[in-house]
Amino acid sequence: MAQGEVLLEVKDLHVHFPTPDGIVKAVDGLSFAVHRGETFGIVGESGSGKSVTNLTALGLINMKSAHVTGEIIFLGRDLLKLDKEELRKVRGKDLAMIFQDPFACLHPFYRVGDQIVEAILCHDSVSKKIATDRTVELLAAVGIPRPRERFRDYPHQYSGGMRQRAMIAMALVHNPDLLIADEPTTALDVTVQAQILELIEKVKQDFNIGVILITHDLGVIADVAQTVMVMYAGRGMEIGGRDLLFTNPLHPYTWGLLESIPNVTQKGTRLVPIEGSPPSLINVPPGCPFHPRCPHRFEPCDKEIPELMDRGGGHPEACHLTDGDKKRLWAQREERRRVVKAAAS
Amino acid sequence: MTETFTAAQTEAARHSVEPLLRAEGLVKNFPITKGIIFQREVAAVHAVDGVDFEIYPGETLGLVGESGCGKSTTARLITKLIPLTSGSIWFEGKDISKMNNRQIRPLRREMQMIFQDPYASLNPRKTVGTIIGTPYKIHKTEGDTKKRVQDLMDRVGLNPEHYNRYPHEFSGGQRQRIGVARALALRPKLIVCDEPVSALDVSIQAQILNLLEDLQSEFNLTYLFISHDLGVVRHISDRIAVMYLGRIVELADAVDLYDNPKHPYTASLLSAVPKGYEAAGAALTNRITLKGDVPSPIDPPSGCPFHPRCPKARIVSGSDTEVPENCKNEMPPFGELGTDHYAACWYPAGEGDDLQEAAHA
Repeated sequence: MAQGEVLLEVKDLHVHFPTPDGIVKAVDGLSFAVHRGETFGIVGESGSGKSVTNLTALGLINMKSAHVTGEIIFLGRDLLKLDKEELRKVRGKDLAMIFQDPFACLHPFYRVGDQIVEAILCHDSVSKKIATDRTVELLAAVGIPRPRERFRDYPHQYSGGMRQRAMIAMALVHNPDLLIADEPTTALDVTVQAQILELIEKVKQDFNIGVILITHDLGVIADVAQTVMVMYAGRGMEIGGRDLLFTNPLHPYTWGLLESIPNVTQKGTRLVPIEGSPPSLINVPPGCPFHPRCPHRFEPCDKEIPELMDRGGGHPEACHLTDGDKKRLWAQREERRRVVKAAAS
Repeated sequence: MTETFTAAQTEAARHSVEPLLRAEGLVKNFPITKGIIFQREVAAVHAVDGVDFEIYPGETLGLVGESGCGKSTTARLITKLIPLTSGSIWFEGKDISKMNNRQIRPLRREMQMIFQDPYASLNPRKTVGTIIGTPYKIHKTEGDTKKRVQDLMDRVGLNPEHYNRYPHEFSGGQRQRIGVARALALRPKLIVCDEPVSALDVSIQAQILNLLEDLQSEFNLTYLFISHDLGVVRHISDRIAVMYLGRIVELADAVDLYDNPKHPYTASLLSAVPKGYEAAGAALTNRITLKGDVPSPIDPPSGCPFHPRCPKARIVSGSDTEVPENCKNEMPPFGELGTDHYAACWYPAGEGDDLQEAAHA
């Protein structure tokens, strides 16, 4: 699954926020690596720590109010050890980000083109003329029609999809090595979502970069990611190549997620939800954080935290069940789904 | 009087049973005015522009479309939460479109609504017991309110002992259960669900969908189910109506619509949905990616509202820039193209059409 060099490596990251009610363990012992040329999908429910992980990498959380330990190594340098000035030289240049809400990310008073020019001039001392030409080129590259005219438009004159395209253009101005996309299509309609996902894929290939795609939508992940990490309560539950993860998932939480999606079912067939609701990050259950909702929990689950590790097969996961049990239980679930599907059609 | 039908029976029954609700030519314009004292109407947002449909007792009619296509406005029109510009609504054979507020109030018992945002639709200063019990108070029903509220809470999967808690003490999924209990309080015939699961995580979404299905069979409910999520709509609906720019462009049986979409917009909408792991990989290549964005409902295109983006029109004209004259000039009629399968298109999609090719050309 890994093709190119390692771009970003996160090692045992903990991000804790002390609050009057207790310590919020937003990220609690997370490790993963992203390679050049791959789309690394991070999927999880709200509050699972997907966004905090990446905001920490970009130095966008308030370090005064958070307690951060671990390492985030980007191209050989630990981002957590850089000071503000050094981080500024990396952020927006080698490490770029696009956010969920393209309506909130562009300043409404400035022309879209000028905002992209500003992003270029931040890191490059080139003339404004050159920066303008480069902006027009990029706007064309991300599929904005008549880029020279649209350069002078204000954000409100752009539609949602075009704003997200402009944000992608802005992220690309310095040929970054890694693009972090935090729910880039969640605010968009499906037909526009399809356009933006295709654009991100094209950009990844044209610029030969790595992409981290954060989403709550397993359908989006299945379409575009090569490697997938499933997060729950601030921890990685399972990391695997897309095909492996979707055809042969090993963690009961992943099973539950896959079975909750109503994409292949029709009226009359029942969904299999995960019982209960995600835990509060202040009182994360002891042991495996998923054990209160897990139908297969057994004796060590509420005491020992299962390590996220590769038990053979290049597919690290964090679950106490034995390999044989996992295979058997997943096979049972597959069989049940097949029967339901056959009965429905 | 309400009977329930299985999906197979509905089709036969549809022709013999009176619809529970019938909407004819619904139009809603929101005027855009200029001037402070003398407000002149300079334009109008054509939010809903001539919508007809029927909802039969016991069925779930799904309403899908992208943002701004008029789904929620339609829901608000049929529940009489906002006044109509023109058109008529018949509920159980009575024309309710001309009724005033006083006349409509008794009918509100029969149609209730579940809203999208469980954080905004519950009053944060009232206890759960008060929120769910309010419908009984408004309609001055007899009986022990507290007992009935606790029965309801139990039925929707909330702990009845939490009667005196406030909404902020509940999670998103539990709040949506409170919303469901409130809608159910007066045993309505029709429940309009406006994006009831869009704000919830997938694992919780599945719980609420199962609950809605159980309640439907238990209380003989009829749903109008609005969502932008095509997977959810397919799961819960018997029939589905697809809206685009204030009009219904296609209406058909759920299975038929997904297997055999006639309107090019429906076909591209369905192909744009990420297919999930069962079809991973194949999905990207089979996708019909539409060009451009949805036009503004202030100034919708002439003729068929979809013609500026339609891949099929380009196949028919044989050119990437041209569309046929009738697409450009005349609104296509809402014709029956198969058994109970209606679509508003001059050139409905058929087998062998390479819409994907046309869209990518």
